Amino acid sequence: MLKNNNTLFESVYDQHHPMVLQMCLGFVKGDSSTAKDLSQEIFIVVWNNLSKFKGASSYKTWIYRITVNTCLQFVKKDGKVKTVPTTEIENKASVAEDGSTENNNIPQLYKAIGELNEVDRLIIMMVLENQDYDCISEVLGIKPTNVRVKIHRIKKRLEIILKSNNNE
Amino acid sequence: MNNNFEELQSKWDNNKKTIESQPSTFNELYKLIKSKERENYFFYYGTISTLFITFVVIALFLIYVAPVKAMLSRLGAGLMLLGLLFRIGIEIISIYKAKRINNTESTLKTAENTINFHQFRKFIHQIISPIIIILYTAGFYMITPEFSLHMQLWNIVLIDVSYVIIGVILFIVIRKGVKEEMGKLREIMRLRNELIE
Repeated sequence: MLKNNNTLFESVYDQHHPMVLQMCLGFVKGDSSTAKDLSQEIFIVVWNNLSKFKGASSYKTWIYRITVNTCLQFVKKDGKVKTVPTTEIENKASVAEDGSTENNNIPQLYKAIGELNEVDRLIIMMVLENQDYDCISEVLGIKPTNVRVKIHRIKKRLEIILKSNNNE
Repeated sequence: MNNNFEELQSKWDNNKKTIESQPSTFNELYKLIKSKERENYFFYYGTISTLFITFVVIALFLIYVAPVKAMLSRLGAGLMLLGLLFRIGIEIISIYKAKRINNTESTLKTAENTINFHQFRKFIHQIISPIIIILYTAGFYMITPEFSLHMQLWNIVLIDVSYVIIGVILFIVIRKGVKEEMGKLREIMRLRNELIE
Protein backbone atom coordinates (compact mmCIF):
# COMPACT_ATOMS: atom_id res chain seq x y z
CA MET A 1 0.00 0.00 0.00
CA LEU A 2 2.76 2.39 1.09
CA LYS A 3 4.83 1.35 -1.90
CA ASN A 4 1.88 2.07 -4.20
CA ASN A 5 1.48 5.48 -2.58
CA ASN A 6 5.15 6.20 -3.09
CA THR A 7 5.01 5.13 -6.73
CA LEU A 8 1.96 7.29 -7.42
CA PHE A 9 3.45 10.24 -5.55
CA GLU A 10 6.76 9.96 -7.38
CA SER A 11 4.99 9.80 -10.72
CA VAL A 12 2.85 12.88 -9.88
CA TYR A 13 5.98 14.64 -8.63
CA ASP A 14 8.01 13.88 -11.76
CA GLN A 15 5.20 15.08 -14.02
CA HIS A 16 4.38 18.29 -12.19
CA HIS A 17 7.49 19.36 -10.30
CA PRO A 18 8.91 21.56 -13.10
CA MET A 19 5.59 23.42 -13.39
CA VAL A 20 5.32 23.85 -9.60
CA LEU A 21 8.92 25.03 -9.18
CA GLN A 22 8.60 27.43 -12.11
CA MET A 23 5.44 28.93 -10.59
CA CYS A 24 7.13 29.23 -7.20
CA LEU A 25 10.12 30.96 -8.79
CA GLY A 26 7.79 33.42 -10.50
CA PHE A 27 5.87 33.96 -7.29
CA VAL A 28 8.94 34.70 -5.14
CA LYS A 29 10.57 36.82 -7.87
CA GLY A 30 13.30 34.37 -8.74
CA ASP A 31 14.59 33.60 -5.23
CA SER A 32 15.58 30.00 -5.91
CA SER A 33 16.07 28.87 -2.30
CA THR A 34 12.65 30.21 -1.20
CA ALA A 35 11.07 28.74 -4.34
CA LYS A 36 12.58 25.34 -3.53
CA ASP A 37 11.20 25.48 0.04
CA LEU A 38 7.81 26.56 -1.24
CA SER A 39 7.68 23.80 -3.86
CA GLN A 40 8.58 21.23 -1.17
CA GLU A 41 5.76 22.62 0.98
CA ILE A 42 3.40 22.14 -1.98
CA PHE A 43 4.43 18.53 -2.48
CA ILE A 44 3.99 17.83 1.24
CA VAL A 45 0.35 18.96 0.81
CA VAL A 46 0.13 16.74 -2.30
CA TRP A 47 1.50 13.76 -0.32
CA ASN A 48 -0.92 14.35 2.57
CA ASN A 49 -3.94 14.55 0.28
CA LEU A 50 -3.07 12.12 -2.48
CA SER A 51 -5.15 9.31 -0.98
CA LYS A 52 -8.16 11.69 -0.80
CA PHE A 53 -7.93 12.63 -4.49
CA LYS A 54 -11.25 11.59 -6.00
CA GLY A 55 -10.52 12.44 -9.62
CA ALA A 56 -13.21 15.14 -9.84
CA SER A 57 -10.64 17.22 -11.70
CA SER A 58 -7.35 16.31 -13.36
CA TYR A 59 -4.20 15.94 -11.27
CA LYS A 60 -2.90 19.05 -12.98
CA THR A 61 -5.86 21.24 -11.92
CA TRP A 62 -5.69 19.73 -8.43
CA ILE A 63 -1.98 20.56 -8.15
CA TYR A 64 -2.57 24.09 -9.48
CA ARG A 65 -5.08 24.58 -6.65
CA ILE A 66 -2.59 23.39 -4.06
CA THR A 67 0.16 25.53 -5.61
CA VAL A 68 -1.91 28.71 -5.69
CA ASN A 69 -3.24 28.20 -2.13
CA THR A 70 0.17 27.34 -0.68
CA CYS A 71 1.79 30.34 -2.37
CA LEU A 72 -0.89 32.66 -1.01
CA GLN A 73 -0.54 31.16 2.47
CA PHE A 74 3.15 31.85 2.24
CA VAL A 75 2.25 35.56 1.94
CA LYS A 76 0.18 35.26 5.11
CA LYS A 77 2.97 33.45 6.95
CA ASP A 78 5.68 35.89 6.02
CA GLY A 79 3.57 39.05 6.03
CA LYS A 80 4.74 39.59 2.49
CA VAL A 81 6.79 37.82 -0.13
CA LYS A 82 10.51 38.40 0.26
CA THR A 83 11.76 40.47 -2.59
CA VAL A 84 15.02 39.86 -4.36
CA PRO A 85 16.76 43.23 -4.74
CA THR A 86 17.22 44.38 -8.33
CA THR A 87 21.02 44.34 -7.89
CA GLU A 88 20.86 40.67 -6.92
CA ILE A 89 18.75 39.92 -9.97
CA GLU A 90 21.29 41.76 -12.14
CA ASN A 91 24.15 39.84 -10.52
CA LYS A 92 22.40 36.56 -11.22
CA ALA A 93 21.98 37.65 -14.82
CA SER A 94 25.69 38.38 -15.14
CA VAL A 95 26.59 35.01 -13.60
CA ALA A 96 24.44 33.38 -16.24
CA GLU A 97 26.24 35.35 -18.94
CA ASP A 98 29.53 33.95 -17.66
CA GLY A 99 28.72 30.58 -19.12
CA SER A 100 26.23 28.79 -16.84
CA THR A 101 23.40 26.85 -18.43
CA GLU A 102 20.81 29.29 -17.10
CA ASN A 103 18.83 31.28 -19.61
CA ASN A 104 20.03 34.91 -19.54
CA ASN A 105 16.52 36.29 -19.69
CA ILE A 106 15.20 34.32 -16.72
CA PRO A 107 15.80 36.92 -13.99
CA GLN A 108 14.09 39.55 -16.15
CA LEU A 109 11.20 37.14 -16.68
CA TYR A 110 10.67 36.70 -12.93
CA LYS A 111 11.33 40.39 -12.32
CA ALA A 112 8.50 41.34 -14.69
CA ILE A 113 6.06 38.80 -13.21
CA GLY A 114 7.13 39.79 -9.70
CA GLU A 115 6.04 43.37 -10.29
CA LEU A 116 2.42 42.23 -10.45
CA ASN A 117 0.42 41.71 -7.26
CA GLU A 118 0.41 38.19 -5.77
CA VAL A 119 -2.92 36.97 -7.19
CA ASP A 120 -2.20 38.41 -10.65
CA ARG A 121 1.23 36.75 -10.61
CA LEU A 122 -0.36 33.34 -10.09
CA ILE A 123 -3.03 33.94 -12.74
CA ILE A 124 -0.57 35.02 -15.42
CA MET A 125 1.67 32.05 -14.64
CA MET A 126 -1.27 29.72 -15.23
CA VAL A 127 -1.82 31.51 -18.56
CA LEU A 128 1.87 30.98 -19.39
CA GLU A 129 1.28 27.32 -18.56
CA ASN A 130 -1.38 27.37 -21.32
CA GLN A 131 -4.32 26.80 -18.98
CA ASP A 132 -7.72 27.83 -20.31
CA TYR A 133 -10.23 30.14 -18.58
CA ASP A 134 -12.30 27.21 -17.29
CA CYS A 135 -9.33 25.58 -15.60
CA ILE A 136 -8.15 28.86 -14.03
CA SER A 137 -11.71 29.58 -12.94
CA GLU A 138 -11.92 26.12 -11.31
CA VAL A 139 -8.64 26.67 -9.50
CA LEU A 140 -9.55 30.13 -8.22
CA GLY A 141 -13.25 29.57 -7.57
CA ILE A 142 -14.36 32.61 -9.58
CA LYS A 143 -16.40 32.82 -12.81
CA PRO A 144 -14.67 32.26 -16.18
CA THR A 145 -15.90 35.68 -17.37
CA ASN A 146 -14.25 37.25 -14.36
CA VAL A 147 -11.06 35.33 -15.16
CA ARG A 148 -11.11 36.65 -18.73
CA VAL A 149 -11.45 40.25 -17.57
CA LYS A 150 -8.66 39.76 -15.06
CA ILE A 151 -6.30 38.21 -17.60
CA HIS A 152 -6.92 41.08 -20.01
CA ARG A 153 -6.11 43.59 -17.25
CA ILE A 154 -3.01 41.68 -16.15
CA LYS A 155 -1.68 41.42 -19.70
CA LYS A 156 -2.07 45.19 -20.08
CA ARG A 157 -0.23 45.80 -16.81
CA LEU A 158 2.47 43.33 -17.80
CA GLU A 159 2.89 45.12 -21.13
CA ILE A 160 3.62 48.39 -19.29
CA ILE A 161 6.09 46.61 -16.98
CA LEU A 162 7.89 44.90 -19.88
CA LYS A 163 8.13 48.18 -21.80
CA SER A 164 9.53 50.04 -18.80
CA ASN A 165 12.00 47.18 -18.09
CA ASN A 166 13.18 47.22 -21.72
CA ASN A 167 13.77 50.99 -21.51
CA GLU A 168 15.93 50.63 -18.35
CA MET B 1 1.10 43.52 -26.60
CA ASN B 2 1.01 40.06 -28.19
CA ASN B 3 4.67 40.19 -29.30
CA ASN B 4 5.85 41.00 -25.81
CA PHE B 5 3.66 38.32 -24.31
CA GLU B 6 4.83 35.75 -26.84
CA GLU B 7 8.40 36.62 -25.94
CA LEU B 8 7.56 36.12 -22.27
CA GLN B 9 5.87 32.82 -23.11
CA SER B 10 8.93 31.60 -24.96
CA LYS B 11 11.22 32.55 -22.02
CA TRP B 12 8.85 30.73 -19.69
CA ASP B 13 8.87 27.57 -21.82
CA ASN B 14 12.66 27.64 -22.18
CA ASN B 15 13.22 27.93 -18.46
CA LYS B 16 10.86 25.06 -17.79
CA LYS B 17 13.00 22.85 -19.99
CA THR B 18 16.01 23.68 -17.79
CA ILE B 19 14.03 22.72 -14.67
CA GLU B 20 12.78 19.51 -16.29
CA SER B 21 16.35 18.35 -16.81
CA GLN B 22 17.12 18.52 -13.08
CA PRO B 23 17.02 15.15 -11.24
CA SER B 24 14.34 14.46 -8.58
CA THR B 25 15.45 14.24 -4.94
CA PHE B 26 12.86 12.02 -3.23
CA ASN B 27 14.91 11.05 -0.18
CA GLU B 28 15.22 14.67 0.90
CA LEU B 29 11.51 15.18 0.32
CA TYR B 30 10.45 12.07 2.28
CA LYS B 31 12.62 13.18 5.22
CA LEU B 32 10.96 16.58 5.10
CA ILE B 33 7.49 15.00 5.00
CA LYS B 34 8.28 12.99 8.16
CA SER B 35 9.59 16.03 10.03
CA LYS B 36 6.59 18.10 8.90
CA GLU B 37 4.22 15.39 10.18
CA ARG B 38 5.87 15.57 13.61
CA GLU B 39 5.76 19.38 13.53
CA ASN B 40 2.04 19.34 12.64
CA TYR B 41 1.32 16.86 15.40
CA PHE B 42 2.89 19.17 17.98
CA PHE B 43 1.17 22.19 16.44
CA TYR B 44 -2.25 20.56 16.76
CA TYR B 45 -1.88 18.67 20.01
CA GLY B 46 0.94 20.50 21.87
CA THR B 47 -1.25 23.19 23.43
CA ILE B 48 -4.04 20.73 24.30
CA SER B 49 -1.56 18.37 25.98
CA THR B 50 0.01 21.22 28.00
CA LEU B 51 -3.41 22.47 29.11
CA PHE B 52 -4.62 18.98 29.93
CA ILE B 53 -1.50 18.16 31.99
CA THR B 54 -1.91 21.48 33.87
CA PHE B 55 -5.56 20.60 34.52
CA VAL B 56 -4.68 17.13 35.87
CA VAL B 57 -1.80 18.45 38.04
CA ILE B 58 -3.97 21.20 39.58
CA ALA B 59 -6.89 18.81 40.10
CA LEU B 60 -4.67 16.19 41.78
CA PHE B 61 -2.99 18.88 43.89
CA LEU B 62 -6.34 20.23 45.09
CA ILE B 63 -7.76 16.76 45.74
CA TYR B 64 -4.83 14.91 47.31
CA VAL B 65 -2.05 17.34 48.33
CA ALA B 66 -3.97 20.36 49.56
CA PRO B 67 -7.69 19.54 49.67
CA VAL B 68 -9.58 22.76 50.20
CA LYS B 69 -12.51 22.69 52.64
CA ALA B 70 -13.99 26.21 52.78
CA MET B 71 -16.83 26.94 50.38
CA LEU B 72 -15.03 30.00 48.96
CA SER B 73 -11.91 27.92 48.27
CA ARG B 74 -13.90 25.13 46.65
CA LEU B 75 -15.61 27.68 44.44
CA GLY B 76 -12.20 29.12 43.58
CA ALA B 77 -10.80 25.68 42.72
CA GLY B 78 -13.87 25.05 40.56
CA LEU B 79 -13.37 28.32 38.69
CA MET B 80 -9.70 27.53 38.02
CA LEU B 81 -10.44 24.03 36.73
CA LEU B 82 -13.49 25.14 34.75
CA GLY B 83 -11.46 27.90 33.07
CA LEU B 84 -8.86 25.35 31.98
CA LEU B 85 -11.49 22.88 30.72
CA PHE B 86 -13.16 25.68 28.75
CA ARG B 87 -9.79 26.61 27.23
CA ILE B 88 -9.22 22.97 26.20
CA GLY B 89 -12.66 22.94 24.52
CA ILE B 90 -11.83 26.14 22.62
CA GLU B 91 -8.53 24.63 21.47
CA ILE B 92 -10.35 21.56 20.11
CA ILE B 93 -12.72 23.82 18.11
CA SER B 94 -9.70 25.75 16.87
CA ILE B 95 -8.05 22.55 15.60
CA TYR B 96 -11.28 21.58 13.86
CA LYS B 97 -11.38 24.98 12.12
CA ALA B 98 -7.67 24.78 11.21
CA LYS B 99 -8.20 21.37 9.64
CA ARG B 100 -11.01 22.79 7.52
CA ILE B 101 -8.47 24.94 5.69
CA ASN B 102 -7.89 22.56 2.83
CA ASN B 103 -5.41 23.61 0.19
CA THR B 104 -6.99 21.26 -2.33
CA GLU B 105 -10.12 23.42 -2.53
CA SER B 106 -10.53 26.51 -4.71
CA THR B 107 -8.54 29.60 -3.77
CA LEU B 108 -11.65 31.58 -2.86
CA LYS B 109 -13.01 28.81 -0.61
CA THR B 110 -9.61 28.33 1.05
CA ALA B 111 -9.28 32.09 1.59
CA GLU B 112 -12.73 32.18 3.20
CA ASN B 113 -11.93 29.23 5.50
CA THR B 114 -8.63 30.87 6.43
CA ILE B 115 -10.37 34.16 7.24
CA ASN B 116 -12.92 32.26 9.32
CA PHE B 117 -10.11 30.52 11.25
CA HIS B 118 -8.18 33.71 11.98
CA GLN B 119 -11.33 35.57 12.98
CA PHE B 120 -11.99 32.78 15.46
CA ARG B 121 -8.37 32.94 16.74
CA LYS B 122 -8.69 36.71 17.10
CA PHE B 123 -11.91 36.24 19.06
CA ILE B 124 -10.16 33.72 21.34
CA HIS B 125 -7.22 36.04 21.98
CA GLN B 126 -9.33 39.16 22.39
CA ILE B 127 -12.35 37.89 24.34
CA ILE B 128 -12.10 34.27 25.50
CA SER B 129 -8.52 34.22 26.82
CA PRO B 130 -8.98 37.34 29.02
CA ILE B 131 -12.24 35.87 30.43
CA ILE B 132 -10.48 32.58 31.22
CA ILE B 133 -7.58 34.42 32.85
CA ILE B 134 -10.01 36.50 34.94
CA LEU B 135 -11.84 33.32 36.04
CA TYR B 136 -8.55 31.59 36.82
CA THR B 137 -7.23 34.62 38.73
CA ALA B 138 -10.45 35.01 40.72
CA GLY B 139 -10.31 31.29 41.58
CA PHE B 140 -6.66 31.58 42.57
CA TYR B 141 -7.28 34.51 44.95
CA MET B 142 -10.36 32.77 46.40
CA ILE B 143 -8.15 29.85 47.46
CA THR B 144 -5.35 31.92 49.02
CA PRO B 145 -7.24 32.82 52.27
CA GLU B 146 -7.51 29.12 53.17
CA PHE B 147 -3.91 28.49 52.08
CA SER B 148 -2.76 31.39 54.32
CA LEU B 149 -4.00 29.42 57.35
CA HIS B 150 -1.39 26.74 56.65
CA MET B 151 1.44 28.82 55.19
CA GLN B 152 3.67 31.64 56.38
CA LEU B 153 2.73 35.17 55.29
CA TRP B 154 5.87 35.68 53.20
CA ASN B 155 5.03 32.54 51.22
CA ILE B 156 1.55 33.85 50.43
CA VAL B 157 2.96 37.28 49.48
CA LEU B 158 5.52 35.58 47.22
CA ILE B 159 2.84 33.47 45.50
CA ASP B 160 0.54 36.49 45.03
CA VAL B 161 3.29 38.74 43.67
CA SER B 162 4.62 36.06 41.32
CA TYR B 163 1.06 35.55 40.03
CA VAL B 164 0.91 39.27 39.12
CA ILE B 165 4.18 38.93 37.21
CA ILE B 166 2.81 35.90 35.36
CA GLY B 167 -0.34 37.95 34.64
CA VAL B 168 1.72 40.75 33.06
CA ILE B 169 3.61 38.21 30.90
CA LEU B 170 0.31 36.62 29.83
CA PHE B 171 -1.07 40.07 28.92
CA ILE B 172 1.95 40.72 26.69
CA VAL B 173 1.65 37.26 25.06
CA ILE B 174 -2.08 37.75 24.38
CA ARG B 175 -1.48 41.23 22.94
CA LYS B 176 1.18 39.82 20.64
CA GLY B 177 -1.21 37.02 19.59
CA VAL B 178 -3.97 39.51 18.74
CA LYS B 179 -1.53 41.61 16.69
CA GLU B 180 -0.33 38.55 14.77
CA GLU B 181 -3.87 37.36 14.04
CA MET B 182 -4.85 40.89 12.90
CA GLY B 183 -1.84 41.00 10.57
CA LYS B 184 -2.67 37.61 9.05
CA LEU B 185 -6.33 38.56 8.71
CA ARG B 186 -5.46 41.80 6.91
CA GLU B 187 -3.16 39.95 4.49
CA ILE B 188 -5.63 37.19 3.64
CA MET B 189 -8.53 39.66 3.30
CA ARG B 190 -6.43 41.75 0.93
CA LEU B 191 -5.70 38.63 -1.16
CA ARG B 192 -9.36 37.63 -1.19
CA ASN B 193 -10.33 41.14 -2.31
CA GLU B 194 -7.71 41.01 -5.07
CA LEU B 195 -9.28 37.75 -6.17
CA ILE B 196 -12.88 38.93 -6.34
CA GLU B 197 -12.44 42.54 -7.43
